[in-house]
Amino acid sequence: MFKKILLATSGAPSTFGAARVAFDMAKRYGAEVVVLNVMGVPTKAFSHIVNDVRTGEEIEVDEEYRSWVEEELKTTFEKQIETVEYSKIVLTTGVPSREILRCAREEDADLIVMGASSGDSSVYRKGYPGSTLQKVAKAARCPVMTVHRETASYWGGFSNIVFATDFSKQAESAFRFALSSAREMGCDLTLLHALDISGKVLDQNEIEDQLIAARDRIRATYVPLMGDFKDFDIEVWEGVPYVEIVKMAREKSADLIVMAHHNHELDPEKARIGSTMEQVILRAGCPVVSVSKPDKV
Amino acid sequence: MPEGKFCNKTPITTDEQLKATLNDKGGKQYYEEMNHLEVDSEKLWGTIQKTMKSRLKTWLEICAHCGLCAEPCFLYQVNGRVPEQVPSYKIQATLGQIVKKKGKVDNAFMQMCMETAWSKCTCCNRCGHYCPHGIDMGVMFSYLRGLLYGQGFVPWELKIGAGMHRVYRAQMDVTTEDWVETCEWMAEENEDEWPGLEIPVDKVGADIMYTCNAREPKHYPEDLAEAAILFHVAGENWTVPSEGWEQTSLSMFAGDWECCKDNVANVYAAIERLKPKRATGTECGHAHRATVIEGPYWMGREDGQPPVPFLHYVEWLAEALREGKIKIDPSKRIKEPVTLQDSCNYVRNQGLKDVTREIISYLVEPGYFVEMAPCKEHNYCCGGGGGFNGIGKYREQRNMALRKKMDQILDTGCKLVIAPCHNCWDAIRDLEEEYEIGIRWTFLKPLVIKMMEVPEHLLPKDE
Repeated sequence: MFKKILLATSGAPSTFGAARVAFDMAKRYGAEVVVLNVMGVPTKAFSHIVNDVRTGEEIEVDEEYRSWVEEELKTTFEKQIETVEYSKIVLTTGVPSREILRCAREEDADLIVMGASSGDSSVYRKGYPGSTLQKVAKAARCPVMTVHRETASYWGGFSNIVFATDFSKQAESAFRFALSSAREMGCDLTLLHALDISGKVLDQNEIEDQLIAARDRIRATYVPLMGDFKDFDIEVWEGVPYVEIVKMAREKSADLIVMAHHNHELDPEKARIGSTMEQVILRAGCPVVSVSKPDKV
Repeated sequence: MPEGKFCNKTPITTDEQLKATLNDKGGKQYYEEMNHLEVDSEKLWGTIQKTMKSRLKTWLEICAHCGLCAEPCFLYQVNGRVPEQVPSYKIQATLGQIVKKKGKVDNAFMQMCMETAWSKCTCCNRCGHYCPHGIDMGVMFSYLRGLLYGQGFVPWELKIGAGMHRVYRAQMDVTTEDWVETCEWMAEENEDEWPGLEIPVDKVGADIMYTCNAREPKHYPEDLAEAAILFHVAGENWTVPSEGWEQTSLSMFAGDWECCKDNVANVYAAIERLKPKRATGTECGHAHRATVIEGPYWMGREDGQPPVPFLHYVEWLAEALREGKIKIDPSKRIKEPVTLQDSCNYVRNQGLKDVTREIISYLVEPGYFVEMAPCKEHNYCCGGGGGFNGIGKYREQRNMALRKKMDQILDTGCKLVIAPCHNCWDAIRDLEEEYEIGIRWTFLKPLVIKMMEVPEHLLPKDE
């Protein structure tokens, strides 16, 4: 299922959780880890002058700088690199989201693992709306796993997966990924639909009716696809979707949340406030996988 | 030491030389070597005799030193209006002297010429507009740059830039394979949202052939995707060439005449090969100047025209909007004060001033468009033209040069600037970084995509 895991990291502490999950999974499933570092964002001329992705300083990329960055990464992840059989470091310059997508395509990665935003680094957002995560999640051919903080990186395998559906086309791919992960790793799977009643005035009966309808829809949509897989629950909770998803993850002691990504809005101002996925990533205590394409599930 | 390892009279022609020169951090050794570079006076005078034609000779001769070109020069304005920044002085003190001394000038003089040609002139040609004789110092400086390049006195980045064009036939290390792969990638990345989207490579007999700027496939391939989406929605029968797709010409900024011609020959060869009815390029100013305005002359074409009608992107877009191939949703029009940057290279050099305003009339709610003052063919350079943006050695002078555009934008009171030119876009981005005046800037493509009405049959089938 995971032959090649692409770990996109700036090398900053905010990505250590992601690194831990990526290497741990690689060790468990015998996968290769491709450690991608987009060193800097081009400023002018032929990309040899870049803003260092961590300091924002103007740097000239040459062999010396390259090997310094490589050394730094090797030192940072030294212990983890030793635990896996296959790994390599790829260094490049460019717009981070674009280069992550390029590398995933070149390497034919099965999973991209990244840290959530390390803050609103204006260094490489200048003139390009949308966060790195939003852009990668939208366009990646493979599932994208985000690990927001160290505590969200697990301590040994996955055992409970929460799959949150909005019944979109993309959710079908997300479901397939959740199901094959659950099978592969022997997890319990919770199928959740969070009924969005935020800002709506509904009477209790109406809510009850919609909950029943949603439950039926989950049953009709996903159960036929599960074959002999029996370790699943169906849940429908009403509220603000991201709150309900995070609550459910706590309730079930989930160590992985799987969702569909299909927000076409790349304007960070609009996407940020509206994106359930982004909110879940920021608040969940476990890694979150977003799936938008059917290729790698 | 007559010739240096990096700084010499020989253009870069191999990838090894490129890498080695790039690894010379900031051109440190390069500029050190320049201090010992010998001037080949004979060659210099020989070149002048062969290439300096009646127009330039006349211009040098008839300049009356009246000073009417001073105020039109934005570099004169932002640098304290010192006499050393008057265009006629700048060219007379450099090219004028070289001609007077029949090429017998020394290293220090040539370095002064280099500094003048690349940090005191962006070849924006505004001065020529106001000269009572029509003397265009921008054209003369382009010529001087050629003489300097031939002698090895050229800023480090532009030596590399011209080398990139010679090695890769693109301003960045993007190979044919990289380019074709990027076309496939972008079509694939956007197929869900735009069913049927294609980026047809090497399609013979298309209605229009599209060329771009190597920075797009290299770093910002979404720009290519946006172009594809707009052609797709407009129902254009279009294509990109696998070879000859790079329209830009850092060699023009560097003064590498031989390479300039090769760039254009490469694009024209693609036109001859694919036989499109027309061609167009991306939102870039100097690329258009090189390929469409100067290119035909470099190629020695009798009619002074490219092989087929070659539109600037703004001409294509205006036409698509005019003919209703692309329709703008009136409710999505821009409803905030917005201004427009006129790119010298196709506004002053080709007079495309009305066509961009026509586009504005579709995109901006009436009453929200604010012109810069002055504008159209009288507009000032963004501050980063002619290669200025890319030269580290003259960064401070470039940052000073941005102040004119900054003042112009501040005077409009707009927070949004439409800049349909890569160089202007970059300069305005740097301007915000340097002076933090709180503006946003954009190309046209993403704006139009956000605002257009997509015909039902092009939408993804409902989920």
